[in-house]
Amino acid sequence: MASPFSGALQLTDLDDFIGPSQDCVKPMKVDKSTGSGMAKIHIEEDGSYFQVRQDGGTQKLEKAKISLGDCLACSGCVTSAETVLITQQSHEELRKILDANKTAAPSQQRLVVVSVSPQSRASLAARFQLTPTDTAKKLTAFFKKIGVHYVFDTAFSRNFSLLESQREFVQRFRGQASSTQTLPVLTSACPGWICYAEKTHGSFLVPHLSTARSPQQVMGSLVKDFFAQQQHLTPDRIYHVTVMPCYDKKLEASRPDFFSQEHQTRDVDCVVTTGEVFKLLEEEGVSLSELEPAPLDSLCNGASAQEPTSHRGGGSGGYLEHVFRHAARELFGIHVDEVTYRPLRNKDFQEVTLEKEGRILLHFAAAYGFRNIQNLVQKLKRGRCPYHYVEVMACPAGCLNGGGQLKGPSTTSKELLQHVQMLYDTVTVQVPEDAPGVQELYEHWLQGEGSERAGRLLHTSYRAVEMASSGLSIRW
Amino acid sequence: MKDSLVLLARVPAHPDSRCWFLAWNPAGTLLASCGGDRRVRIWGTEGESWICKSVLSEGHQRTVRKVAWSPCGNYLASASFDATTCIWKKNQDDFECVTTLEGHENEVKSVAWAPSGNLLATCSRDKSVWVWEVDEEDEYECVSVLNSHTQDVKHVVWHPSQELLASASYDDTVKLYREEEDDWVCYATLEGHESTVWSLAFDPSGQRLASCSDDRTVRIWRQYLPDNEQGVACSGSDPSWKCICTLSGFHSRTIYDVAWCQLTGALATACGDDAIRVFEEDPSSDPQQPTFSLTAHLPQAHSQDVNCVAWNPKEQGLLASCSDDGEVAFWKYQRPEGI
Repeated sequence: MASPFSGALQLTDLDDFIGPSQDCVKPMKVDKSTGSGMAKIHIEEDGSYFQVRQDGGTQKLEKAKISLGDCLACSGCVTSAETVLITQQSHEELRKILDANKTAAPSQQRLVVVSVSPQSRASLAARFQLTPTDTAKKLTAFFKKIGVHYVFDTAFSRNFSLLESQREFVQRFRGQASSTQTLPVLTSACPGWICYAEKTHGSFLVPHLSTARSPQQVMGSLVKDFFAQQQHLTPDRIYHVTVMPCYDKKLEASRPDFFSQEHQTRDVDCVVTTGEVFKLLEEEGVSLSELEPAPLDSLCNGASAQEPTSHRGGGSGGYLEHVFRHAARELFGIHVDEVTYRPLRNKDFQEVTLEKEGRILLHFAAAYGFRNIQNLVQKLKRGRCPYHYVEVMACPAGCLNGGGQLKGPSTTSKELLQHVQMLYDTVTVQVPEDAPGVQELYEHWLQGEGSERAGRLLHTSYRAVEMASSGLSIRW
Repeated sequence: MKDSLVLLARVPAHPDSRCWFLAWNPAGTLLASCGGDRRVRIWGTEGESWICKSVLSEGHQRTVRKVAWSPCGNYLASASFDATTCIWKKNQDDFECVTTLEGHENEVKSVAWAPSGNLLATCSRDKSVWVWEVDEEDEYECVSVLNSHTQDVKHVVWHPSQELLASASYDDTVKLYREEEDDWVCYATLEGHESTVWSLAFDPSGQRLASCSDDRTVRIWRQYLPDNEQGVACSGSDPSWKCICTLSGFHSRTIYDVAWCQLTGALATACGDDAIRVFEEDPSSDPQQPTFSLTAHLPQAHSQDVNCVAWNPKEQGLLASCSDDGEVAFWKYQRPEGI
């Protein structure tokens, strides 16, 4: 089966060869028992292991389990078989929770929240030949029909991601004189890119990564912290599902940084791809276009609107465009109306410059796809990177072309992508500073921009993953 | 048939190690060899003997699997199990490593220069084929990462005159690639071999491709352009490739390398049964269904697996071979009378 993950993730993680010197880094907590160290192991017919103690008594041994989170920490053994397991973390999980809710006692029921990404919505809109607004309303109707309580749009959480990215860049740019601030700043919203960066050039690249959370994970904070409070529920009583255009987002949701030790719950419990939503629709025998539209939900009163909104700057979030315009204004007092992109060696590598009187003030780039990520990283390693900020995405053409998006039955993939892009662009654009509800949330939920809460709930951190001594140590 | 291939010289090129591959420079005056001792050696003649003119060490941390000369003869690329590819610049008898191409996840299995000299291809056990572009300042940039194969990619080779790339893999297929807009795409997959395809060689015209495999056969494939006379179906504007000849029953073990002489059209094979064989096309055979005859068979050409055979590009009949026994041998091939 062809891997559904992005190219960047595939080349880093999928290696069928497990060298004899490679260790699985799963830290096994072993309870040391007193007594002599000798034990006999007996295997039952059903495959379960029993330890036979010296006194003849037996004790069933626990099976070692490897979770997605463990796999993220290890650099070696995620084989093709495991990826099949990862892709099973899907709509079946959601079903289980919804089914459990039907029979559970009220105090055991979970509040199910689904956050839909604008890219997934555009893909569904193209498939069912609907406008993005209708798609949003009909999707809301569908999810509520199967037992979901609230349906949100991650374009709302994206506002925070963009605002934090803007602020962060200006800070890092101003702090260039002090050696702690490293330029270029590289975006971190794409988990395919992050997995590659952490594992292959970790110690070198991690300091460059933006710490702003991705829209998915900001939504995680919004739903499990703000919304939970509003609903008078503890975070573990909410089951948060996101609908995303790719599989890599499933790995992002599994990161230990997005797991609350205090409440023993993840910010995002389950990620389903656009394709998996399509399967759900098919399984329910529902045609999206035939559903009666339902009113859109909003996270807070300030944010209620009956039409979805979006951001400028392309289908991958618009980071370059927003940070560029904000930096031009904040750092140089220049107002930029239209951002002009100049394609370089291929259409997935573009640059943008801010010039004044012949001097280059800002030099930004967007690098999509593995080959361009390669070239960017090599340039960085050789100290030949001229950029201040780079928007990095693992998929060629960006998120609208993610591995979890719907494939066209009749059109070519190029035509389909263009159609999806066109639909995505029809959604009304809004500047994050002006988005309703955002400023209020900064004030009341986060207690101010740049506050400790904002830092904790809207930012994250990355770390280099050391490669376990690989098969390369074998003397071929 | 034994006399058609005569030993000229034998050198212990990579002592206590394997010699993996050989490459003649375009002028035919130097032979580069590489091996398990992590070194590349450059051989040239001094009178009647072959002597080692340079040793390129300090380039790689693991076995060097393949070497390839640039079309201009001034650069040598070396592909290594240490996951890197070194580019060496020749300065008379000295070679300096001017750049190291990184990016492959694990062992690089092959490297090849395009006829233009501007492009380079590498392939690896990580299942991918990379195309690199070199600019005037000797800077290399990755132009494409192709993930078409489902297993270890063993060999890459460029068409002799067009910017067309072929790759051979452990997944039993051969794939062909060309540039489309701003990226490279796989436009054909040649299926037929029943096991790993180890090596490839284009014929002098570039119309035919020879592949050799662990299935102990050599297959010859022909390119058919759209609207061809023979009526072979093509999809859209892409050429179609058909297997027009299979050489089976000649080799008793895996065939590791095949070399197509650009001067005479003779086909040489390197086999796991320690033998070297040469085949020639029967002049009266139908070009669409050619037949090849075995014109030379030298058992025990080496004391172990023969890994590579390479025809000298300028001197007719001069063939070099290397083996797991660490030796390089030079042979004179003469087409036998009456064939």
